[in-house]
Amino acid sequence: MHKLILLLGLFFSNLLFANTADGEPNYTAIIMFVLFVGVTLFITYWASKKTHTAKSFYTAGGNITGLQNGLAISGDFMSAASFLGISGLVYLSGFDGLIYSIGFLIGWPIILLLIAEPLRNLGKYSFSDVVSFRLKQKPIRILAACGSLSTVILYLIAQMVGAGKLIEILFGLPYYSAVMIVGGLMISYVTFGGMLATTWVQIIKAVLLLSGATLMAFLVLYQFEFDFNQFFSKAVNIHSKGENIMAPGGLISDPVSAISLGLALMFGTAGLPHILMRFFTVPDAVEARKSVVYATGFIGYFYILTFIIGFGAIVLVSNNPEYLNDSGALIGNNNMAAIHLSHAVGGDILLGFISAVAFATILAVVSGLTLAGASAISHDLYANVFLTGKNNEKMEIKVSKFATIFLGVLAVFLGILFEEQNVAFMVGLAFAIAATTNFPILILSIYWKNLTTRGAVIGGSAGLFIAILLVILGPVVWVDIFGNNEAIFPYKYPALFSMVVTFVGIWFFSKTDKSKNSTAEKELFESQYFRSQTGVGIDKPNAH
Amino acid sequence: MQIRATKEIYQQLKEARIKILIPLILLTITSYFSFIWVIAFKPIFFGILIFDTNVSIGIFLGFLLILLIFLVTLTYVYLANKILEPLIKKIQNNA
Repeated sequence: MHKLILLLGLFFSNLLFANTADGEPNYTAIIMFVLFVGVTLFITYWASKKTHTAKSFYTAGGNITGLQNGLAISGDFMSAASFLGISGLVYLSGFDGLIYSIGFLIGWPIILLLIAEPLRNLGKYSFSDVVSFRLKQKPIRILAACGSLSTVILYLIAQMVGAGKLIEILFGLPYYSAVMIVGGLMISYVTFGGMLATTWVQIIKAVLLLSGATLMAFLVLYQFEFDFNQFFSKAVNIHSKGENIMAPGGLISDPVSAISLGLALMFGTAGLPHILMRFFTVPDAVEARKSVVYATGFIGYFYILTFIIGFGAIVLVSNNPEYLNDSGALIGNNNMAAIHLSHAVGGDILLGFISAVAFATILAVVSGLTLAGASAISHDLYANVFLTGKNNEKMEIKVSKFATIFLGVLAVFLGILFEEQNVAFMVGLAFAIAATTNFPILILSIYWKNLTTRGAVIGGSAGLFIAILLVILGPVVWVDIFGNNEAIFPYKYPALFSMVVTFVGIWFFSKTDKSKNSTAEKELFESQYFRSQTGVGIDKPNAH
Repeated sequence: MQIRATKEIYQQLKEARIKILIPLILLTITSYFSFIWVIAFKPIFFGILIFDTNVSIGIFLGFLLILLIFLVTLTYVYLANKILEPLIKKIQNNA
């Protein structure tokens, strides 16, 4: 705790040097930061008094309402990468930003229609509970934990590097201390406050982000009297790509990539461990259902806002020398489009507000990820594989706290290690792995009677291996990072191929599985399906 | 008696759920992959401006798709609460 206070002291003294364009400290940003950090640490303190059991640590006691969970899910999903990244992509090439937005959103009906209710009815703390419901605990938990941890760590690295860069540009803080502050705060939220604190941090951040983005879009459209015709024609006139920004451009160059990216985005969302974990925080399937509608509404609305913000930046930022460097590019990089726009429409006050919101966003997302990673280590690997399910709740909580600290330190370390690397591909890889390993084993364990442990383990790990291999041999790593001339695997997005490997592998090795075990597993399917559909037999939430 | 009643209601529940799920899933997947299909094979089509405006077909349909995704989730929850939930409650009360 002392180290944390020291770190915070360093942070705030650094903040005093947070400058606006003309060299004055941005007081709005500083006040907002202090408020956000203060409020969230207070919540963490309050939550720590309620977080004594494993159930409260992983699921906030199961008492979160549908609306609260919907906001928290949107909080987990609307990362700084999607706020700044998508508006930056729209700024750069217009329509292409919409491809990502829709891809991220289309996973939600799938989650709602096929996964949310069975997940709530079968699981306790993590999606591995569902997958191992009738399959053999050990091998399947290890596989699910590998899938979860690789998704979480890749996502964490991308968020950490993004966070460090962003804070470096916004506040002039050195990269190292920026990454360490993020790491320190996230460790304290999660270890002391568990899921309860993490959920409230998400809720606050989601409300802040939605209001900030709404205000920005409103101020942009206000300048055009809410006339989209005028708005878009101005953007086409100004942008160097002209009317090409209204149509699909360079993001996707061939049909295979289009479908592969489409699959990864659609089914990857349904396999993200930190998102799936949220469904255990609500009391029952009814609330789980409700939370998806709220989440889809908020996230969809948010993507419409980012699109308007991206186009707003084309119109109001791209031709203003105040925001451009000597070569005519945006100061910082294209991801700073939304930040510059906030200054263009709302001056220093809005700039300070939006910068603080971007920081809050990063903190909230990394906390959610770390909690999901820690639960994979403590609940899946430690409690169910190492202890083979013997109940030792005290130790499990202890392990989960150590796992949180371990993951936090690892994230800081990797964030520093990858500072100079292009990490954009890591989010893509995280989605590909989620779509290739987590999603197929989850969906098949719920709906396919003939799934056996052998099939799930062989198919799931083969897919995981292929997804990683294809990314390494593909253009992003093999050419851009290793500096080779030509990629061995020509496509950027592996999901189409790796998902086929997983599904065919699972089907083949389940069908040919004649072991005694597999017969028992198939016999258990009916009762599992009954519970998944009706919720008969699930735990009651904690009393208030 | 109760077990038999449960079995019948469970059967009804499964049938009702499939009737709700299949059209919604088909709608979601076909609309999304048609969108992707156009991007892959006919990107120029999305660049055409809707007559008399400066809004392209692609942007208009993209916004419409976001709205559709939300409506799918809203429809499902409405139907699930109205049709499936009473059946589920009956089964839970019998158990």
